[in-house]
Amino acid sequence: MKQIIIDITEEGEVKIETRGFTGKSCVEESRFLKELLGKELARQLTAAYYQVDGKTCVKKHLPLCG
Amino acid sequence: MSHVSKIELEINDLETLEAACASLGLQFVRNQKTYTWYGEYMGDTPLPEDFSANDLGKCDHAVRVPGATYEVGVVRKDGKYFLLWDFWRDGGLERALGPGAGKLKQAYAVERVKREARLKGYRVQQSKSVKGIRLVLSM
Repeated sequence: MKQIIIDITEEGEVKIETRGFTGKSCVEESRFLKELLGKELARQLTAAYYQVDGKTCVKKHLPLCG
Repeated sequence: MSHVSKIELEINDLETLEAACASLGLQFVRNQKTYTWYGEYMGDTPLPEDFSANDLGKCDHAVRVPGATYEVGVVRKDGKYFLLWDFWRDGGLERALGPGAGKLKQAYAVERVKREARLKGYRVQQSKSVKGIRLVLSM
């Protein structure tokens, strides 16, 4: 299930977490919340962000020398 | 999980701020042009960013807090609203609103998200968490 989870502390700090999205849709889907609430200070991407249609897209760099 | 963002809260909607005040039992007074505070800037604490000592005590709207003798000033600047208030202990505001008026900011953020998310067709669940309030939006 696609969910957006917003934690708001008693100090007024806001953290937004998206779950169940793949690819960049999470950023698009939660954009309205960021625009509503203020400025994005930091963003941490997770593994699902790099998935395309449910398939993990990972670039591997193999050490060829040394 | 896809990504996690930290947001610096900005107050940009007066109706939501008014609703947040009501949810905390505070009285929002539109067009009150001064707010009660110590009355003189002593220079012992930093001024809010982009404000001078001459700005203190003046506002566009005010918030009255039950049990507090001081009030919160709401000042409109560059399309945003800033909260000006004197946190001196005997004024009673910090006791009611928490450090930095955090409880008012929290109530504002909760109201803002709930209103807009429902307009966009999300289901909204609210619960208390260890650190504050959690809202879960789902389609």
